[in-house]
Amino acid sequence: MKGGEAHGPLARALAGEAEALDTCVHCGFCLPACPTYVRLGDEADSPRGRLHLMRAVAEGRLDPVSDAFQSHLDRCLGCRACEPVCPSGVPYGRLLEHARATAREARTPAPATRGFLRLFASSRRIRWVFGLGRLARDTGGARLLSRLLPRMGRLGALRRALLMVAGSAPWRPGVLGGNGTDAASEPSPPRPPPPEATGFATAGVLAGCVQGALYARVGRATAAVLEVHGVDVRPVPGQGCCGALHAHAGDLEGARVRARANIAAFERAGVDRMVVDAAGCGAAMKEYGHWLAHDPAWADRALRLSERTLDVHEAVAVWGPRRGAPLVGTVAYHPPCHLHNAQDVGDAPLRMLAAIPGLEVRRAQGPEECCGGAGIYGVTHPELGGAIGADRARALADTEARCVATGNPGCMMQIAAHLHEEGAAMDVAHPVELLAESYRRAGWIRTRPGGP
Amino acid sequence: MTPDPHPPAPSPALVRDLRRRLGDAAVITDPDRLLVYEADGLPHYRRRPSAVVLPLDTDETAWAVERLHGAGVPVVPRGAGTGLSGGALAGPGAVMVGTARMRRILALEPANRRARVQAGVLNADLSRAAAPHGLHYAPDPSSQTACTLGGNVAENSGGPHCLKYGVTRRYVRGLTVVGAGGRVAELGGDAGPGAPDLVGLFVGSEGCFGLATEIEVGLVPVSEGVRTLLAAFARLEEAGAAVTAIIASGLLPAALEILDRATITAVEESVFAAGYPRAAAAVLVVEFDGPDSALDDEADRAEGLCREHGATEVRRARDPDARAQLWKGRKKAFGAMGRLAPDMVVQDATVPRSRLPEVLGRIEAIARAHDLHVANVFHAGDGNLHPNILFDRRDPAWVARVEVASREIMEVCVEAGGTITGEHGVGLDKRPYMALVHGPAELDAMARVRRVFDPQGLWNPGKVLPDGAEGPPWRRDAPPRRAGVRPEAAPRTLEELAATLAEASERGWRVDPLGDTPGWADLELDCRRWGDVERYEPADLTVTAGAAMPLSTLATQTARSGQWWPVDGPGLEGATVGQVVLGAPESAVAARLGGVRDLVLGLALVTGDGRVLRLGGGVVKNVAGFDLVRLVVGSRGALGVLATVTLRLHPRAAVDRSWVLQAPRPEALMGPALEAAALDWPPVAVELGWDDLGATLAVRGMGSAAEVAELRHRLGRVLPAAREADAADGALVRAGLRAPAVGAPGRAPLAGPAGAGDELLARGRTQADEAGAPFAGWLAVDRGRGWVALPGGAGPDPGAGLDDAVAREWAAGLKESFDPAGILPPGPFPAGEPTP
Repeated sequence: MKGGEAHGPLARALAGEAEALDTCVHCGFCLPACPTYVRLGDEADSPRGRLHLMRAVAEGRLDPVSDAFQSHLDRCLGCRACEPVCPSGVPYGRLLEHARATAREARTPAPATRGFLRLFASSRRIRWVFGLGRLARDTGGARLLSRLLPRMGRLGALRRALLMVAGSAPWRPGVLGGNGTDAASEPSPPRPPPPEATGFATAGVLAGCVQGALYARVGRATAAVLEVHGVDVRPVPGQGCCGALHAHAGDLEGARVRARANIAAFERAGVDRMVVDAAGCGAAMKEYGHWLAHDPAWADRALRLSERTLDVHEAVAVWGPRRGAPLVGTVAYHPPCHLHNAQDVGDAPLRMLAAIPGLEVRRAQGPEECCGGAGIYGVTHPELGGAIGADRARALADTEARCVATGNPGCMMQIAAHLHEEGAAMDVAHPVELLAESYRRAGWIRTRPGGP
Repeated sequence: MTPDPHPPAPSPALVRDLRRRLGDAAVITDPDRLLVYEADGLPHYRRRPSAVVLPLDTDETAWAVERLHGAGVPVVPRGAGTGLSGGALAGPGAVMVGTARMRRILALEPANRRARVQAGVLNADLSRAAAPHGLHYAPDPSSQTACTLGGNVAENSGGPHCLKYGVTRRYVRGLTVVGAGGRVAELGGDAGPGAPDLVGLFVGSEGCFGLATEIEVGLVPVSEGVRTLLAAFARLEEAGAAVTAIIASGLLPAALEILDRATITAVEESVFAAGYPRAAAAVLVVEFDGPDSALDDEADRAEGLCREHGATEVRRARDPDARAQLWKGRKKAFGAMGRLAPDMVVQDATVPRSRLPEVLGRIEAIARAHDLHVANVFHAGDGNLHPNILFDRRDPAWVARVEVASREIMEVCVEAGGTITGEHGVGLDKRPYMALVHGPAELDAMARVRRVFDPQGLWNPGKVLPDGAEGPPWRRDAPPRRAGVRPEAAPRTLEELAATLAEASERGWRVDPLGDTPGWADLELDCRRWGDVERYEPADLTVTAGAAMPLSTLATQTARSGQWWPVDGPGLEGATVGQVVLGAPESAVAARLGGVRDLVLGLALVTGDGRVLRLGGGVVKNVAGFDLVRLVVGSRGALGVLATVTLRLHPRAAVDRSWVLQAPRPEALMGPALEAAALDWPPVAVELGWDDLGATLAVRGMGSAAEVAELRHRLGRVLPAAREADAADGALVRAGLRAPAVGAPGRAPLAGPAGAGDELLARGRTQADEAGAPFAGWLAVDRGRGWVALPGGAGPDPGAGLDDAVAREWAAGLKESFDPAGILPPGPFPAGEPTP
């Protein structure tokens, strides 16, 4: 083992977090919560093990170039399921970002990761690639091509990516019946009164990257639902990717560039809140204050945006969802890690679904684990990500619900892809899409937010 | 057996072999990756293993251990690495065998209330799997969501609810063990009653005897109702006094936990803030479980006692959410304290309950003297303390102060009659304190026992026993002898008894401690004078008595304080305490209150070669070293002459009733008996006794008036024809039953799954028919344990119930380590077979 001097500067990046690392008392409560440890059984693939490796780097006992440091940090899903069970409150997600930054500086990341980050670095490229993706999805080309590719190996990763793109297809409102007819043509109940003293009157909706390209309908549903609640939804020009994927991959500087752009856009738009319907993006935006804490020009502004960022479930919970028209059927709820673990939003989505008359909400048996999507994990770790995704899809399919509801585009695509692999005929929707459909059937929303 | 300081690391060829058999992912040798295995739950110890292997099952484990031991490489087992004594660490040269991939629940048998699991199954996962059947696994260490059952077996783990339910050892029925050299042994199981308790000895052996790859455990019904109280006190002593009052009142809470002010503050400042009253000097969590209708009454009484002893506030939880809230602070205290300083030692010691206030005061003084921050969390009902000492390992002076203070705390606990660890184990951390509680003779005896299992010292070397624990080997020509003490046939002191046995060993005179092996004794020992109560501590529910004390005398003496030693069954009339301890008969009330083996805390024994061993202690939770007490109980005099025993007492219940049903034949009663045993809240005892004249079923209820009333109500549906009687002594069952006395020949064990009573009766009838004897016997139906009388029979053969060749060899070795000259009768131990 090399001494601390050999990799001093890198080690110092982690050593700056020594206090946070020291909160870990090594109790091991996080082990069973970790999807990679549960499957692999190697403590180096557990949160405690990864923290121990980080500490070894900070202490100068481990070279950040080492395979151990690189591969075990890379293999972390970043689902942060370890955080709610940690009695010492170790800020694992934050430490992981720093550790990945250290790992990245020490060694160039794998080509797949590099490629993705390059893609997400330019909004033009994102539009282009996902535009192509949308085309492949809507023409059925993605699914067709996926059938020709092998499950394993490099082409397997492409196959999975195609299945995920195909999986972003809209849910079919027909799977959740109503009162037989389209409620929009019936006399509609009175529109709910505008909110009194709810703290905000105007909001912008984060368009995001993947979200904007493949899930524009979710953004429309979010805006429509907010409008039903009397919120003035305004455009936020100049906004872009939230930077979460960069931060997760250890490109903290890249993440900060995106954060600053979004902060400026938010300020220009002059809205009271940014509402986010992608859990991964919302979790990242709530971290902007931390990302830019050492940038004097931006620290306060970043903190202000973080404080004003609301997940759509939280936003709707400000008034409590309305009881709209019925959606008769069953839905299985999957809690996205970046909503449940990172943002501590656990009940609001369930309350949102429970507000829809006629809808029966089911939970999968067993631990409510990460779906294995985890940003680009499904592509960078096809085997492990695939195994985790398959387990999750099976658990959801076992609920025998007609539809899966989950509030994050990554999860939606991953789950849809694996439900397809498992041969389960279940649609996948964002909870706010279901609420919007209920509102629409009630006649409160005139357009059809559920379109492609 | 001092471990080799420089054991060989596995060779590249060996590593290649392991990879070929177990797969690449299951063999870790990259030193960087191995860093994460350098620490367990006590992270200031760091030792990096040479390799880690992660087998999938018994076969792979045995294969790997055979190769590694064959190459002289030491092996250390590791579960989830949550242990708090540094036990799961492997030094240089050693290889760790992890159970993380052995996660299968192999069998779940709700009808027999048992399960068989692989070692890596998590404690909480077993309870979760059993929950749909209304069952759970009772021992609940605070780390239960993360710790493995294999680790629980190695450490004999406790937990908050062990006050009522007992620790791991009570629930382990059978083990598949990979021993030295990769040899596999099946221990316990249904075949085992009457055999030496190798399972009990293995539990708590901290990986020094081998690795248990499969574990059979008993499950208990989930309580129908739970009431949880949280009482706040302005003074810690008041909380302690309230605990003593609750225990003395005859209430048996499922848990009694105290958190002191420092802990309350830590919890309330963490994310796990439980809303505990911050002004309190101590909070006491009291929990009752049982049939719902009975619990309010118990909770009311406990609340009254808390208020009487100065509680400033009492909160009560009925629903699971509120209950979880009251427990939250206790369950998460350990992690919450981690926020106050970079490092923390969770100390662990047990003292007699009545000494708690005094010991806590002294711990506070030690902390002050060394300028340390100590926060206390403890299982107050058991007297099991957890002083948590905060520090920063980067400050060597601070670390040194912690070490000095830890030692002083241990000394205080031992002086108060306690022990150095109640549930965390010795591991690396407590090794230096072993000599505080054990003398050289006891440490030597433990080292010899270890050598029986692991002659080369290749299982978890350097743990538990201090270096040099094993004395010089016993030599036939020079048994230990004390100057000036003469052998006596009727010894008055332990020394005289020791001199007598040493002399007998030297001369080859055979001695029969129980006097029940016809034609064995050359020398008649008279130990009748060893029949007095040596020490009775009603407040601690313990008594130390001479082995020759009649059980009836013990009952009379303890009854004056409203207590009893809850061993009950036919044939105990006229028996002495020593006969019961050495015979370990099945007890009718064992399912609820523990069997004889669970109720002996300590004993003084003189071995066949005249060594005096004072084993165990006077506290209810004790994992300081290997549990040789467990081996002696039920050994039928094969290991030594019993001088005194320390017993765990229970408060007498307020109400004690029996429901009795009679029939000409036992088979007619088995149906209702099984139904009674399968009630959601089972009776304390379901016993069936019979002989050629008739059969009697007695179902016993014990507890508060409300609890017994509830049982009466439920039994009304199952046994409508039963007659209720005040049958506290169980006499009704035995009326007319000609039971052979305990220890007397003529009892052939009957044992099987709890739900297989009919099959047991059929087997017993066949045995009686074959022996030409009238069919008579007795069964504790709720446990599937009992016996059939075979008059004139010689009792079970030595080694009966030990079908496994490796287990037989171990048992023979154990007998020899206590009685090398073979002057004592074989008892249940098989004759030694020459080892190659």
